[in-house]
Amino acid sequence: MTRKNTLVFLVILAIFAFAICALIYPMFGREQIRLGLDLVGGSHLVYQAQFPEGATGEYKARAMDRALDTIRSRIDKYGVTEPIIQKQEGERILVQLPGFTDIEAAKNLVEQTGFLEFREVELNNGNPVYLSDYLESEDPDFFDKGEDGSRIFVDNNGNPVAFLIKDEEGNLSYIDEEGNPIDIEELKQIDEQIKEKVLLSWIPARGDDGTQLTGSFLSEATPRPDERAGITYAMKIGIVWNEEGGIIFDDIAKRLYSRPDDSVERRLGIFLDTVLISSPQIIEPAYHGSGEITSPGGFTIEEANHLANLLESGALPMPLQKPPLYEEMVSATLGAGFIDMSIKAGIIGIILVMLFMIVYYRLPGALASVALIFYGTLVLALFKLIPVTLTLAGIGGFVLSIGMAVDANVLIFERMKEELRAGRTLGASIEAGFSRAWTAIRDSNITTFIVCGILYWLGSNIVASAPVMGFALTLFIGVAISMFSAIVVTRTLLRLLVGTSLAQRTSLFSVYSGRR
Amino acid sequence: MFDITGKRFWFFLISGVVILIGIISLATFGLALGIEFSSGSMMTLSFEENVDHDELRQELANLGYTSAIVQRTGEGDFYIRTATLSTEEKINLEDALIAKFGGLEEAEFYSVSPMIATETGWNTFWAVLGAAVGILLYVTWAFRRMPKPFRYGTCAIIALLHDVLVVMGIFSILGGILDWEINLMFITGVLAVIGYSVNNTVVIFDRIRENLTKGVSSNFEVVVNNSLVETLSRSLNTSLTTLIVVLALLLFVGASIQNFAVVLLIGIVAGTYSSLFIAPQLLLIWERGEWGRFIQWIPIAKAKGG
Repeated sequence: MTRKNTLVFLVILAIFAFAICALIYPMFGREQIRLGLDLVGGSHLVYQAQFPEGATGEYKARAMDRALDTIRSRIDKYGVTEPIIQKQEGERILVQLPGFTDIEAAKNLVEQTGFLEFREVELNNGNPVYLSDYLESEDPDFFDKGEDGSRIFVDNNGNPVAFLIKDEEGNLSYIDEEGNPIDIEELKQIDEQIKEKVLLSWIPARGDDGTQLTGSFLSEATPRPDERAGITYAMKIGIVWNEEGGIIFDDIAKRLYSRPDDSVERRLGIFLDTVLISSPQIIEPAYHGSGEITSPGGFTIEEANHLANLLESGALPMPLQKPPLYEEMVSATLGAGFIDMSIKAGIIGIILVMLFMIVYYRLPGALASVALIFYGTLVLALFKLIPVTLTLAGIGGFVLSIGMAVDANVLIFERMKEELRAGRTLGASIEAGFSRAWTAIRDSNITTFIVCGILYWLGSNIVASAPVMGFALTLFIGVAISMFSAIVVTRTLLRLLVGTSLAQRTSLFSVYSGRR
Repeated sequence: MFDITGKRFWFFLISGVVILIGIISLATFGLALGIEFSSGSMMTLSFEENVDHDELRQELANLGYTSAIVQRTGEGDFYIRTATLSTEEKINLEDALIAKFGGLEEAEFYSVSPMIATETGWNTFWAVLGAAVGILLYVTWAFRRMPKPFRYGTCAIIALLHDVLVVMGIFSILGGILDWEINLMFITGVLAVIGYSVNNTVVIFDRIRENLTKGVSSNFEVVVNNSLVETLSRSLNTSLTTLIVVLALLLFVGASIQNFAVVLLIGIVAGTYSSLFIAPQLLLIWERGEWGRFIQWIPIAKAKGG
């Protein structure tokens, strides 16, 4: 009995030593307890992907995977440590950026489709076509019969005013960015307001084999200084085409170059997400696989970096619904404050609980306090090793579990006191206290486990899951370890005491015979 | 030895009054739902300069946010809740506030779409229902060797509902007075209270089971009373240690987990009360078929009290 007990004691010491090492030194590649977004600060976004009706499950799954890759590569350029980019049920995408607190920039980075396409001006008998030509036309049909693709009309700032498309029956209709139809009268008014003829009809620019030139043919996009005269500190984007892209681009360049001089007909429209970002003139018949994107006033460094990143990571295979389904941003200072405050709360809580246990239960209470320290250390070590992402609610769960951790000890000590009062020896009372209290400890803790299970389920089924999930996990681990520490650790310590002179003094066990 | 069971009707009366007040408050104020359940945007802004609460509210109203909720959460810190803001609306709002009140830092921002809010609401409903059913089944199973184990489960559930009602009632009063909202932390707290309360109840039921098996007395009331008295110091001490840490949380962390800590605080008190004075007493009344006597007793209690 005693030898076995000494052995158990040594095992407990070993576990304690291991837990302390695990907390101090990096172990299994983990440097520190992993902290949730609400503690380190950062952004958390959940988006709904938008697929056209009738998209197959397989198509959606592939598109979702590509979207995750695209978003990941965009974020990687920003050096966010351990970003989380996941797909979730219902075609949703979750993006968590620890430490990245500029939520507007984060949204901009994730939600921009990044679809780059090249267009040229539609011609009718060699003359450029404007929106007014379509609006005044008696017989509405495309002027360029060879090109069936959409027409985009943009204003002076490059923003799309309307899209002209041909449906399956061959009828033309105007739609806006969201795909809603626009009334022709309304368009006429807009056209009249803009006095000069600027609403050009932009049609897809295609290579000789009919392939439209898009960003998917890019192999490189790099920000470079824009050294044109008249602009300072401006940037442009140097682009490199892949082999196919280079051929298509040269087909288009050759065609536009051969047109009459210095006019809109020689311009190549560069559209990003249907916005015209620039329309350079084609001044050479061939570019041999490389080129550049400039903007009229030059890009700022931020714009250029963002754009290059966007172009190189490629377009999202589908648009994301705006605004996001869920947005969360916590500043780093707020999170740091929470950590300090909860450490304080935890330490004060644990000290008060220990004081209470010692004052009320004397010697066993002191041993339970030792077990409580063991408990706290082991639980924190487990948080680090598993690893559990610690959120504010998780810390709440941990601190709460400190209060509940002594429950098993309270049950046992109360039982021991009853046995001592009934006149048993200390050793017998300890054993009886532990064995009789066991069913109550087991049955009552199972109810807590049930609740933890339910909370975990709830956490995994809702979007703002961090508080619920964190609490469920930490409370579960806390209660499970508390059963071990209260039963095994405290009992071992008590058994070590039996037979020493301390055990002879019943006052240390706060049992006064004849008190009641 | 204390006679706890003898005063059982009084315990029901006290609970009844507290719950009734809560229900009246629920009917009057209702429960203010947080954005997790009702959708919308909320932010905490820290202003560099001193900002007056009413001026801020007025400015928000001028900007068109007439129904915005504004609370001061600290020196220069304000909690602002509005309908769901788009990126542009948010930037415009913050720019307008900077123009009016000077520099500010956005400490927190949350925005929840209606779709997510509905979803969260339903899942929470299922979670609470699942917890109740799970506990009913478990307690019934744990006491399966007792005669009529279903009664143990049912009494535990009634005690649990009692605690939830007390917490919701008091929270509705706080909501009416302090603009407190039901958020996910609140729900987490309620579920924790459910687990905690049943935990206590099970310990007492366990002792009743033990004393019945030992054959302490043929009188069920004596058995229940003995069991309560024997476990009394345990019940109180455990509640006390838990209350200590919850108070530490409330005093030192506060803010974001204030709802959670207050729910736990109320819930632990209510849960301790219900596991001592509601669940076992219900078991006793059920065993004796005393429901009618309780109804008749109420006017007598009133007469005594008045």
